[in-house]
Amino acid sequence: MLEFRTQGFNGYSVKYSPFFDSRIAVASAANFGLVGNGRLYILGLTPNGIVAEKWFDTQDCLYDTTWSEAHENQILAASGDGSIKLYDISLDQFPIQSWSEHAREVFSVHWNLIAKDTFLSSSWDGTVKIWRPELPNSVTTLPTHSCTYSAQFSPHSPSVLSAVSSDSHLRIFDLRTPASASNHLTLKIPIHAPPRPKMGQPSPMGVPPSEALTHDWNKYRDGIIATAGVDRTVRTFDVRAPGAGPMAVLPGHEYAVRKLTWSPHLSDVLLSASYDMTCRVWTDGSAIGAQGPNETPDPMAYGGGREMGRLNRHTEFVTGVDWCLFGAEGWAASCGWDERLLVWDVRQIMAPGVQKF
Amino acid sequence: MANQTGRNSSAQNRLAQVGEHLQSSGPKGKSALLEKHADDIVVTAALRSAITRGRKGGFKDTMPADILTGVFKSLIERSKIDPSLVEDIAVGTVLAPGGGATEFRAAAIAAGFPVSAAVKSLNRQCSSGLQACVDVANAIKAGMIDVGIGAGVESMTLQYGPTAVTEFSDALEEVEESANCKVPMGVLSEDMAKDKGISRASQDEFAAHSFQKAVKAQKAGLFKEEIAPLTVKWTDPKTEEEKEIVVDKDDGIREGITPESLGKIKAAFAADGTIHAGNASQVSDGAAAVLLMKRSTAQKLGQPIIGKFVNASVVGVPPLLMGVGPAAAIPPVLAKTGLDKNDVDIYEINEAFASQCLFCINELGLDQAKINPKGGAIAFGHPLGCTGARQVSTLLNELRRTKQSIGVTSMCVGTGMGMAAVWVAE
Repeated sequence: MLEFRTQGFNGYSVKYSPFFDSRIAVASAANFGLVGNGRLYILGLTPNGIVAEKWFDTQDCLYDTTWSEAHENQILAASGDGSIKLYDISLDQFPIQSWSEHAREVFSVHWNLIAKDTFLSSSWDGTVKIWRPELPNSVTTLPTHSCTYSAQFSPHSPSVLSAVSSDSHLRIFDLRTPASASNHLTLKIPIHAPPRPKMGQPSPMGVPPSEALTHDWNKYRDGIIATAGVDRTVRTFDVRAPGAGPMAVLPGHEYAVRKLTWSPHLSDVLLSASYDMTCRVWTDGSAIGAQGPNETPDPMAYGGGREMGRLNRHTEFVTGVDWCLFGAEGWAASCGWDERLLVWDVRQIMAPGVQKF
Repeated sequence: MANQTGRNSSAQNRLAQVGEHLQSSGPKGKSALLEKHADDIVVTAALRSAITRGRKGGFKDTMPADILTGVFKSLIERSKIDPSLVEDIAVGTVLAPGGGATEFRAAAIAAGFPVSAAVKSLNRQCSSGLQACVDVANAIKAGMIDVGIGAGVESMTLQYGPTAVTEFSDALEEVEESANCKVPMGVLSEDMAKDKGISRASQDEFAAHSFQKAVKAQKAGLFKEEIAPLTVKWTDPKTEEEKEIVVDKDDGIREGITPESLGKIKAAFAADGTIHAGNASQVSDGAAAVLLMKRSTAQKLGQPIIGKFVNASVVGVPPLLMGVGPAAAIPPVLAKTGLDKNDVDIYEINEAFASQCLFCINELGLDQAKINPKGGAIAFGHPLGCTGARQVSTLLNELRRTKQSIGVTSMCVGTGMGMAAVWVAE
């Protein structure tokens, strides 16, 4: 395991470069992101450990970052003052572009993986905005009317995007639909809805709505999205069957889940990062043979998924986690309020018997 | 300045937002329990005397107050606490005439506590020692005192006998459940074993296992950490000669006990009964003490923190089903602390009788391997008032040794009650 200290700055988000296997960006904030400056770290994995190749300081806290899919040196940062900044890491100090439209904290930014000239942002102001790097203003604004912690483009369709927000709903927008009063909203799935009861079994427990903090599209199975948030539970949904309720319910985290990310290599594996100071690796139970011995079935659990291991090394809230796209499958990086970036091998925490890492 | 005001209110908003993420999850579960807070009630020392056999063991000629004095002295010595900081001492005891109030106060003074340290005795039967710890913890939590000691002592050699229960009035005898309160433990446990279908063979197996675990633990020196050796006067029953001996190990632990060897013993309470001396707790003498304070106090005083007290429960059950007490008391304390039964690493459940302990384990569906890993009262004895405080040192030492964290102590209580407490080793 490798480690880098983001001295004086509490991590909020970590992203591997889609171009280089040795480059990692960390968005961070002083004073736990409550008040003060932000810093975007560009880190390099070298034979001598992790080194800060560059950093950009900002006036307000940074909450998220995403690499450009089109240009290997460009990266976005989401700021607490409502601005989004585009940096070129071959330049120093200042962003090459800045957009200020959101009225409150921008909490997520995401680059379109297919239409690589587009990115989006979501904010506590209750909107998702679509942007093009060359335009000074946003292209489209999609209201969610509630604090939107996470938004993403589908990896399968350039015009489909999703958002989860504090109203406990997963929204799907399709930009191909005609502009109308619905603002391209095509689906609104209640995350807290219980799974459909199976024949001959008691109906699953209902839970109250709670804030959804993170979600991610499966990279292999079109239409599969994982969500998680304040209710400590990871769920997966199939947006092609929106009324069916969750396909998998994975309880286990002891505090709210802050970040989810599906494996870029395996269709059933995902990583989560939580306020309970752990990162956990899960299978959603969709792969054949993935279902293991479940000694103590949680009454909430559903769909045959299970936790396969956890990283216990963080000493504060874990806020970000990301998979490395390259090399041996299984490398991941995580960041948290303990001012540490950890780079580790997921397979190591999955090995039987060493669950506690 | 306007700008600054704006920033402050935005910081407030952000704090509230993040706070909500945590609040909805509630302060529950294992990770919440393992958090360290300044107002936690922590244990900085927990120890006990050896537990010795009634009428035959090392403390047979020692007054209970003297065992207690010895334990208090060791507690001061080991913890290096300034005795003048201790504000209250609660001592659980069951059989002492007058509740032991007078001699325990004297024992505290003799042990080196200044007259400013208050002392009380209390009696909740077999859970008195735990009740003493809980009372002190609660007094600290409420801010009444800062540093206190929960303790327990019993000399069943000197004070066990028919005078332990007062005659019942007609008014009590007329109410059936009231009258049931004085049915002797052995008799009602026999009925309960029959009622709940706990077989003689399973009881003997459980009891033999308790002995075997205790023998193994004693040989490995696992009790050394928790036992304070005491030097006492002892009269040799053969020669009538009085000599000074050091009592530093539980002398009720016997080697070579097997289910088969226990199977030969005649039942004690009914001709066709299942309970006998080998599968019930031993009659014993001993004392134990636990030093409690807030985490902030411990840090200020430089006291080593070995564990913390989390919460406790006490529940009444029908007097004739006294033995089900732990099965009734453990679920509520787990619910209060937001724990699942599998989150608990070790359960110290007092073995008053193999029958009732086994019933509770089965009823709760607990993992046998987590129960009394160093043996229990069947192997080394159950000095009534001492047991609850004794379990704390047994539990915390074992949790720390095995690098585990969460433990539960529990026992059934005469007249039909159960008590349980959750502890965390650090």
